[in-house]
Order: sequence, then C-alpha cells, then structure tokens
Amino acid sequence: RAVGAARRPLSCSSPPLEELFARGGPLRTFLERQAGSEAQLRVQGPELAAVTKLLSEKERELRETEHLLHDENEDLRKLAENEIILCQKEITQLKHQIICLLVPSEETDESDLILEVTAGVGGQEAMLFTSEMFDMYQQYAAFKRWNFETLEYFPSEIGGLRHASASIGGSEAYKHMKFEGGVHRVQRVPKTEKQGRIHTSTMTVAILPQPTEINLVINPKDLRIDTKRASGAGGQHVNTTDSAVRIVHLPTGVVSECQQERSQLKNREMAMKKLRAKLYNMHLEEETSKRYSARKIQVGTKGRSEKIRTYNFPQNRVTDHRINKSLHGLETFMQGDYLLDELIQSLKDYADYEYLLEIISKKA
Amino acid sequence: MKLWARMLWALLSGPGGRRGGIPCLAFSSWQSHPPLAGLLSPIGLVSHWTRVFEKRGIPEARESSEYIVAHVLGAKTFQNLKPVLWTQPLTPQQLQCIQVLCSRRLQRVPVQYILGEWDFRGLSLKMVPPVFIPRPETEELVEWVLEEVAQRPNVVEAQGGPLILEVGCGSGAISLSLLSQLPQSQVIAVDKEEAAINLTYENAQRLRLQNRIQIIPFDVTSVGSWTHLLPWSPMDLIVSNPPYVFHHDMEQLAPEIRSYEDPVALDGGEEGMDIITRILTLAPQFLKDSGSIFLEVEPRHPELVSNWLQSHPDLCLNLVAIRRDFCGRPRFLHVQRSGP
Repeated sequence: RAVGAARRPLSCSSPPLEELFARGGPLRTFLERQAGSEAQLRVQGPELAAVTKLLSEKERELRETEHLLHDENEDLRKLAENEIILCQKEITQLKHQIICLLVPSEETDESDLILEVTAGVGGQEAMLFTSEMFDMYQQYAAFKRWNFETLEYFPSEIGGLRHASASIGGSEAYKHMKFEGGVHRVQRVPKTEKQGRIHTSTMTVAILPQPTEINLVINPKDLRIDTKRASGAGGQHVNTTDSAVRIVHLPTGVVSECQQERSQLKNREMAMKKLRAKLYNMHLEEETSKRYSARKIQVGTKGRSEKIRTYNFPQNRVTDHRINKSLHGLETFMQGDYLLDELIQSLKDYADYEYLLEIISKKA
Repeated sequence: MKLWARMLWALLSGPGGRRGGIPCLAFSSWQSHPPLAGLLSPIGLVSHWTRVFEKRGIPEARESSEYIVAHVLGAKTFQNLKPVLWTQPLTPQQLQCIQVLCSRRLQRVPVQYILGEWDFRGLSLKMVPPVFIPRPETEELVEWVLEEVAQRPNVVEAQGGPLILEVGCGSGAISLSLLSQLPQSQVIAVDKEEAAINLTYENAQRLRLQNRIQIIPFDVTSVGSWTHLLPWSPMDLIVSNPPYVFHHDMEQLAPEIRSYEDPVALDGGEEGMDIITRILTLAPQFLKDSGSIFLEVEPRHPELVSNWLQSHPDLCLNLVAIRRDFCGRPRFLHVQRSGP
C-alpha cells in the first residue's frame, strides 16, 4: 500500500467536491432553496445566487458537450474533449467559489498569531525535531511573506530546542496557521542513536490568535511586571544589563516571559504580546468549545492534544491523520514552502467541507 | 597546534594566570568528550566565564558571559543564537576575542562598553566610554513623550513638527528614538562634552537620521552661551535626562559607573538639582506658549522641583504630571509653560 501511495503523492483530492455537490444531495437542495427564497438572497447576497446559476448553466453545457463525444466526426470529438476539460475546470472553480461564499470567515482569521513549539516525548531527539519544526515555520512565514519575530527560545544542550515561541503577522496568517496546532510525531533514526534503531518522538505546536486592542482589554492593575531592577535606586544610580521581563496576570495566574532582546522595553512589549494572546485564547476557548465539538479538524486546546501528523523519515513521507493525506519528499516539506502550503490548503478545504455539512444538516 | 595549545592554556588559566579548580575541571571534561564540545563551544565558554566572574565577584556573571559570547558569534543575546551554534566549537579567532573581552569585564568595564553597542528601544546604538550608557527607565521617558505628541496631532500636522530640544544628549538615545518614531519631527540635541557630541553624530549617521538632527556643543551652566540656540526657537518640547545623582551618593555608585562613565553626566550637585534648575531657568526662552518639558529625575526630586517652581513664579512653569517608572518610583516630570 505504501508503494502505491509513493507513486501518486498528491493524488488524494480533498475535500471530496464531487460528493459534496452530488446531484440530489443536501447541498444541491440547500442551494435550490436559497435561490428560491427572497429573504435568504438578501442575507447571503446576490452573489451566491448568481454563482449557483452559473454552475447549473456550465453543468448543462457539460452534459450537452458530452453527447458530442460519440459523434462520427473525429475533429468534432477532439473539439468536444477540449471543451469538456475547460468546462470541468470552470465547474470546479465555481464550486470552490460557492464554498467560499457559504463558509463565513472567522473573527480571528485575519489575526496575527503566536506560535508555540514544545518538545514532547523522546528526550534530545524530540528537542532536535522541535528545532527543525521551528525552522520550518520560520521559513513558511518567509514563503508567505509574513513577518516572523522570535519571542522566546530555550535550546537544549546538543543543539535541540525545548521550547520556543514567535509572533507571526501578515495577511491571513491565522487562517492558515490555525491548522498546525496539535501533536506532531517524528519517526527516524536519531543522530544520537548508535544502534541504528528507529525512534518515535513527539512535539507540540500551539497557535494562539493575537487579539486587537479592541477585542481584549487588560486592566494594568491586574498585571505584575517583574524585572531585575526591582530593588535599589534605579535610574542613573545603577547599570544593569539583565533586561529579562516577566509579566504575571494576577486574576488568572497566566505568566509570560521574554529575554530575547537587550532592550527591556522591547522585552516587555514582546512578553505583553504573548500574554495578550494567551488570555485571548482562553476567552475564545470558552466561546468556541461547543462549535467545534464534532469535527475531525479541531482548532484550539481540544486539538492540541490530538496527534495530527506523522513525519516518517525512513519512508520519506508526511501523513496528516485528520484528512488521511500523505505527501512525499520530507526534506522539501520541512523547507516550509509549497508542500506545507499545499497540505494546509487541503486542511482548509476539508475544514470548510465539514463546516458546510454542518450548516446544511442544521438547515435541512 | 602550538598556537592552539597556547590559546587553550590562556583560556583556561584566565588573564591572571590563575590555576585553580577550574582548569582541572575543564581539562577532565575535555578528555571525556572527544570533540572538545564541552569546553570550546559557546555553552561551555559561558559556564566557564560565569564561574570565573562569580569567583572574582563580578556582578551579573552569567549575563556578562552570555552577552560577550553571543556578541562574538554575531547575536544580540544568547537566546538569539541558533541552537546548532550552541555546541559547535569556536574558531581560534573567536576564542581569542572572547578571552580579550572577558578580561575587560574582570576590570569591571560595563558590558555595554565592552560590546561597543547596546539597544535602546528599537535601536542599536554605538557605546563609547565615557559617554553615559542609557538606562531602561529612560525608554519610558521617551514613551511618555511619544504618547503626549500623539495626543496633540494638530500641533504635529500643522507644522510638520514637533520641534524638540534635548539637553545632554549623551549617546543620542532619546533624540534618535524620538526621530525614528516621529517621521515629521526635528531635534536640536545639545551636550557640553565633545565625546557625546561625536557619538550622537555617529549614531545619527548609522541610523540615517542625521538630516533631521542638529547636534550642538552647548553648556547649560555657562552664562550667555544660550543665545546661539535662539535661531531655532520656539520649540514644542524640551526633553532631558539630566545628571540627577546627589553629589554625596556618587561615591556609592558601582565601580562600573564610578570608574568608566563620565561623572558630569551623573553628578547633579548637592541635591541633584543643579542642571535641572538650569534647564527650567532657560526653558521659557526657547519654549512655545504651553510648550512642555519632560525630565527624568530621581524619586526625591518631584517634591524638590515642585517647591523650586513655586518659588520662581516668574518662569510661568507648572509641574503638571509626575509618572512612575516600571519599578513604581516617581521618575518622570512633565512641566508645562503657561502663557507668556
């Protein structure tokens, strides 16, 4: 089975568009009802109705062209073949467009975010893998032209990474990165292993959306800011170089630290950024815990304990367990560019698909 | 190999040629880890120098050795070093460099002078002794000025300002961070020390801010010399971190400050008020109506300044706000000019 998968690395077309748009299926019924209802038209906008109409026109065109495939004239048959390919392409595009119109963007989709990586089971090997994963996301941010700023970095002694966090900002950063949260598993022969045995280790990724000034307000009185300057006269009387900052949010006990910068103010800003993301995330969890309940693709803490992906080095394969999709070329994948982007796109499509099934079943 | 051996020996014995427990310990760890990783890697060097500094009573032993090792490897902080570098052996040149810089730290030279640079807010500034090293509190003084400017957008928009005077610019930290945050602003930066004038100029050039700053040698204590600042008047703001240490506190300052930083940037006279009162006396000549003065002071000063202003009503200056620093000490003053 593994060999078969190796031959067609990108074959699995997710989400199952055909299934979703099956004739007489719930989505069709839903769209037909939408088109007939004046009130719905106003809610969803005229665009959905227009695209739905275009889709049925194109589908009729396709059916009509398909008859020509049996024509006696060879030239006509060839022409029809080309026409059909074009038609199918357009139909797929229209279907995607309908999904986009039906799936509302989330409040947080445009947000910046905090990425946290933490080594899990597997000692030094887990830490080495965590370091590679952190690099992968840094490169992915560069690939997407996002801004990437390391907030904390706790390396292990042999060049691995125990824990790190970074602030990522840019167009639709959270919308893409939110699917990366969860447990990532690596299978390979560690550099440290002398017998050549394959080990399995894990690391955890957390993705926290960054709140705006408006959607999270923190009372300064609720914060305790610790610095190394808390004692003594301060100001011109002292010259310290320890610029580490630790902020405690007293009502929740949430702690945030930063010692990445030489400027204390910069460290404070970064620690604050992280604290805000943590608090906002706690707030969002409460709100969304019900909404995501039954889905395969979980976003938030619920998804964080889930084993979402395996990086199998001996087989040169990465598998996402949520959508059962495998990609080949691990080294390329770990470079954090088009392959990772492609997987994230599949996850996004699948999440949209799940969402659609949910709203259709509710309204049916 | 001979050079290597000598270098290693110098490294192990420290600048004083001391031979104690440290070299032996390091030597045994060298033998048990073949690639010398334990000792000649960044992490090994940090722990070695931390122990040396601790033994010699050097403050911030770990921070000092981390900053020096990171600096030689081209990073700002040890946390910023790529983890693969943590355990890789350094080149002989890098080892030599760390050796030289760490031995300066043993002489109590401030880390900022050893590295030759330090960060203030978002800027990296060159640091040269004896020019005053900016303290983290002053980052908050700049923050306050920026907040005030943001609250008065009409002033800024109308004249493409604000026009700011900084008294005692030192390395240029305050002026340059204001310029970098306020793209329309202009700054007149004055200092009486040539070393400070030169350093501010150099930092302005490094940050490409030299076109919006006038750097002028000027001594606020000398009578009459202020007239050559008048062509730039009136200013929107005056900002200063003047010398404010009480004279009799000077002796208690740490050796890093006492032996290496220019005392004229610190010693504010008997009650630390000498330069503060000079600035307040001159301010009305340069300030616009309802223009502002922002000062960093020490915690006993808010009351002293308030009393002094009340006994000088002719200056038409009022202490309108006092702000605390991140440690909760009253540290910053906002004085405003009222009417002519």
